[in-house]
Amino acid sequence: MKVLVTGAGGFLGVHVVERLLAHGYRDIRCCLRDRGKAEQLLSLSERYPGSQLELCCGNLRAKSNWARAVTDVSLVVHLVAGMKGAPAEMFTDSVVVSRNLLEALEVRDGIPMNHTRIVLVSSFGVYGVARLSRGFRIDEMTPLEEHPELRDIYSHSKLMQEQLFWEYQRKNGFELVVLRPGVIYGPGGGAFSTRVGLQIGPVFFHLGGSNLLPLSYVVNCAEAIVVAAGHPDSAGQVYNVHDDVLPTASRYLREYKRHVKRIRSIRLPYFVTRMLARFLEGYHRHSQGQLPGIITRYKAASAWGGNRFNNAKLHTLGWCQLVSTPDGMAQTFAYLRERDAKLK
Amino acid sequence: MSLKVAIVGCGKIADAHVEVIRMIPSVELRAVCDLEPIMADQLAARFSVPHRYSDLAKMLDAEGPDVLHITTPPQSHLAIVKQAVAAGCHVFLEKPVALRHCDVEAIIAANVAAKRKLTVNYWPRFEAVALELRRMYEAGVLGDPVHVESSIGYDLAGEFGTAIRRNPEHWVHQLPGKLFQNVLDHVLNRITPFMGDERPLIQAVAYRRDTLTEETGGGELLDELRVIIRGTRASAYATFSANARPVGQTLRVYGTKNTAFVDFAARTVVLERRQTFSSALGRLIPSFLIAKDYFQQGLKNANSFSHAQFHFFDGMRRLLTEFYLCIEKDTPPPIDYEEILRVSAMMERIFEQAYPGVRS
Repeated sequence: MKVLVTGAGGFLGVHVVERLLAHGYRDIRCCLRDRGKAEQLLSLSERYPGSQLELCCGNLRAKSNWARAVTDVSLVVHLVAGMKGAPAEMFTDSVVVSRNLLEALEVRDGIPMNHTRIVLVSSFGVYGVARLSRGFRIDEMTPLEEHPELRDIYSHSKLMQEQLFWEYQRKNGFELVVLRPGVIYGPGGGAFSTRVGLQIGPVFFHLGGSNLLPLSYVVNCAEAIVVAAGHPDSAGQVYNVHDDVLPTASRYLREYKRHVKRIRSIRLPYFVTRMLARFLEGYHRHSQGQLPGIITRYKAASAWGGNRFNNAKLHTLGWCQLVSTPDGMAQTFAYLRERDAKLK
Repeated sequence: MSLKVAIVGCGKIADAHVEVIRMIPSVELRAVCDLEPIMADQLAARFSVPHRYSDLAKMLDAEGPDVLHITTPPQSHLAIVKQAVAAGCHVFLEKPVALRHCDVEAIIAANVAAKRKLTVNYWPRFEAVALELRRMYEAGVLGDPVHVESSIGYDLAGEFGTAIRRNPEHWVHQLPGKLFQNVLDHVLNRITPFMGDERPLIQAVAYRRDTLTEETGGGELLDELRVIIRGTRASAYATFSANARPVGQTLRVYGTKNTAFVDFAARTVVLERRQTFSSALGRLIPSFLIAKDYFQQGLKNANSFSHAQFHFFDGMRRLLTEFYLCIEKDTPPPIDYEEILRVSAMMERIFEQAYPGVRS
């Protein structure tokens, strides 16, 4: 079976390829934007004798680049998404690129689309949590966001992306597996999710407080993707992905300060954040956007409202956490410490 | 009268157009259009625009906009302008105006022939500091211009720069002047008001300094440009730098009486006056006078901020307001067509030297 991994050179992609190899997949085509990441991927194949890693470098925004990428593949793991940049860039990378993939699969010769399995890595951001009560436990039945335009661009684009895949699935009947990870973290990733807080100027505003962080260590997340990709019962299903033991935002920040570096932080209780959001929202409206509407009440409720999480469905596939949360945090902080030292 | 407005091209800069259009009370943004329906969908959803299209002809037919904002890549501008004016629209055009000077001429000719109005988004020219400089010049504070230095910075690691670097097929790579062509309008249109020459002497040097530009794999993306312009009465020096920090935009106009310095990023304009104090006092006092100018400028800016008139695209709001007003009152557009043509002609000659042999 030939597997296609899009975004294989990314933070998560390299680990997904490694877990695919560990699970016995040997014929993998890796799509990556630039050849700079190729070495890391090719070194993986040396660890798994008999493996064939085929690199497919190019810009996936161009429809013409997809024809070769989808040839002969029967399993697609789609990781590509716009993580930052201008809104138009993020929608292009998450949604337009996905549409190009789906269209290429529709028209290719050889394996029919309905004999293909596609694994989409979506996001927790697609859930509509702003109006849920504090402490609500999010599972796969939680309703999707009804007002993505009120959320951040990443969540909006991920929701459009996921809806696009379901639309094509209904039309073409292929097997679609959707994973919705929480906060993917690990060496190579960033230091803070917005769920912990926001860095504004020299001060870190700690807004997450005692909320649980739905962390997913990058190796554990990659393992979940590969387990779901290969499980016969996962077709047509959605799985939330996060680790079993979750720290609170304040514990994460405390550990960061202890193991990486001291930063100046101000903790704002949720009710203060709400009041601030109300003020900023009003000012944003009154001033016609003189200051950006970074914090609104809707965004605040979505990011810092405080939910609990449930990964029981993922466990039914046989997934287990490969790296414990303390080990994951220790490895992440060691990486961040080293990165900061290099920057100095 | 309320003008009906539509936008074609839902890429990055379209966000700015929507935000500014919504600030102007006498207009209604009716629809957005993009060949890629996903892009039209996302823009319409985020800004609650009532209608979205992926076919320009259908949008023009169904919505009948008075003004069409064209925010597509410049490769398509000429064809879209012709289509728009044929449908009776006035045109607000994003820079760069077109690939070649002859296309710019054709764009303006099409508007004039159809008796429609057109302006180009030279928005920094309408920022408060630029208007203040114009006022100083017209009041004779500077005297005759002797020399102008216009400089612009570019952050290749920023939002726009990253989009260009990461995508070798980005439309910027297809421009005859590549990265320079995307921003040089802003550098040159600050010089032309002080230099009346139709065809000044131009010498341009371009080169690549940074490794970031190598990531594109294009090999031809130069990131530094220096231009010397020599007119009959005044000269100018235009600089583009993707490596100098901070990334800024400045303009210095040397006059026969005084020199003015504009910092577009800090939004300050100060006058460097002729020295009247003698001896050591002449070296001591000027720094306090300059500090006083900056302090006063800071107060002005704080006042603008407190009145919610300190947006990033404040100049665009002013330009658009004037453009819409010229349509309603049937007066000349805020930027002379002659000036647009002069800028375009200068750009073409610069690119011929920066990228010899490159033609669209």
